[in-house]
Amino acid sequence: MTLTSYSTTPGISIRKSRLRVPPTVTLSFAIVALVLAWSLAPALFTSLSPVNGFPADKLLGPSFTHWFGTDHLGRDVYTRVVYGTASSVSSALIAVVIGVVAGGIIGLLAGFFGGWVDTVLARLVDVLLAIPKFLLAVIVVTAIGFDTINAAIATGVSAVAVFARVMRSEVIKTRRATFVEASFLLGGTRAHILWRHVLPNASRSVLPLAVLHFGDSILVIASLAFLGYGDPPPASDWGLLISIGKDYLKWPWLVYAPAFVTIATVLSVNRISRWLRKTD
Amino acid sequence: MRNAYLTYAAKRLAQALVVILLTYVFTFVVVSILPGDPITNVLNNPQSGFTQEEIKEIIAAQGLDRPVLVQLWSSFSGFVTGDLGLSMRSHRPVATLIAEVLPSTLVLAASGLAVALVLAATVAYGTQFVPKRYGQGLLRGFPSLFLSVPNFVIGLVLIHFFGFQLGVFRVIEPDSVWATLFAAIALGIPISAQIAEVLIANLDNEAAQEYAAVARGRGLGQARLFAKHLLKPSSLPVVTVIALTIGELLGGSLITETVFGRTGIGSLVQRSVSTQDLPVLQAIVSLAAVVFVLVNLIADLLYPLLDPRVTLLGGPKSRADTEDGTTGVSPAVAS
Repeated sequence: MTLTSYSTTPGISIRKSRLRVPPTVTLSFAIVALVLAWSLAPALFTSLSPVNGFPADKLLGPSFTHWFGTDHLGRDVYTRVVYGTASSVSSALIAVVIGVVAGGIIGLLAGFFGGWVDTVLARLVDVLLAIPKFLLAVIVVTAIGFDTINAAIATGVSAVAVFARVMRSEVIKTRRATFVEASFLLGGTRAHILWRHVLPNASRSVLPLAVLHFGDSILVIASLAFLGYGDPPPASDWGLLISIGKDYLKWPWLVYAPAFVTIATVLSVNRISRWLRKTD
Repeated sequence: MRNAYLTYAAKRLAQALVVILLTYVFTFVVVSILPGDPITNVLNNPQSGFTQEEIKEIIAAQGLDRPVLVQLWSSFSGFVTGDLGLSMRSHRPVATLIAEVLPSTLVLAASGLAVALVLAATVAYGTQFVPKRYGQGLLRGFPSLFLSVPNFVIGLVLIHFFGFQLGVFRVIEPDSVWATLFAAIALGIPISAQIAEVLIANLDNEAAQEYAAVARGRGLGQARLFAKHLLKPSSLPVVTVIALTIGELLGGSLITETVFGRTGIGSLVQRSVSTQDLPVLQAIVSLAAVVFVLVNLIADLLYPLLDPRVTLLGGPKSRADTEDGTTGVSPAVAS
């Protein structure tokens, strides 16, 4: 919103052309905003219960009263999707935070100190990269137990390596900048330079990656929920809803409705990430 | 040059072996130590339904009463010599269990990769021939769309349309040719997106080079320019991307096999996860890592031979210059 009001300010023509938001990006922001609203206040968007259904109304097709139809227990699928949003979105957020923080610290230390610190951390990252990402998430969630928070942690662990790599190469780039050298000459301590100069500059390209990984994490967590490694029903994570729907393929809206919401969300998030990378 | 290559090859090989060793240790730690220890966690869990005698037998057979480091050592030396231990559940050799299901997964992964390559090439090369007015943008949008669709959804859509509606294949025969093809499509589509993205970026990059402008100035049409000049330099770097997607193929087949009801490595992982059969999980994860590391080693070793533009950077000084510290290879700037 600040962006559009900013662009109406007269006289800053260069800024104006740079900050123009393409319509697909506006739509993406709108979709993400709606999804966030669903997760924060699901009760505002539906008056039905996600847990208790009306068995008489089971397996109805999509209609004006039931936008996404009803499931095998007569529950409104739209309501279930809306109530499942909080868990799907917050777990993706947890996964991204774990990936960014752990990967960021590893990359920062490896890139800044170099030498044996770099070698040791590089091997750790190689190990994390060598195990197929999804398999890594599966064994981690097996080790710490099946529920949605653990699935989020496992997804975060599987993303650490990517963030560590990007952070490391950015830090190495920044480290060689003249202003870092100048700060060293002015007597800046390592910790000060790391915190004040290297971290903020290197973090710039991590933001689009973090946004991209938010979308990716939604998919990985949905996959884990699909395999039954998340919270059990009556939770209604998107992946779990699709997983339940697969046993009722004769009533395809049980799969298509949550799948559509998942795809629309991830697509929007990816579009925003692309736009961020371009405007950077 | 030859010497530089040999040094590079030796270094990469040593690195790969170290990574395999460390990965084994890492997996061992995650799989068997993190959740407390397997004896109390799995065997004494009343849900597992083992009797006291069975528990003693398993502990003796698996050697779970020895110190952890001894267990790790015997497990790793077994792994190197091809002895993967015994399953905690069926008491059969893990190697046999894996060998039984491996062919099915190999077929699925190979055909999934084939689908991904064909699809990626069609989309990426298509962008060179479809004019802007006639939906080039649409074609360019495909990779990000494919990246946003979970592969189990693609699988379910295919089953719904071709299995239930059109009746092309029967869901209860997951190993038939048609069912395998559709499983391969479900597995291949997200992977094709990654390959296509790199391919499109490379093509755009090459088309913007001066030599391409010169060729256009000489009067070369788009088709000849593409075939003679753009195709090779933009496609070669994809070799390394394909090697990187091997992990995704393995991880994706886990889900695809579940969706299509196939038996394979994926379903074995699923079963071992739900029964907490740790030796099987340890073996599969380590083998997957070995495959991934070896495939990438081969790709990295082949690449300097395939692409004459690549110069090998020797010595530790230049390591920091390459963005990605593990390969040590960087294409020389063309212009």
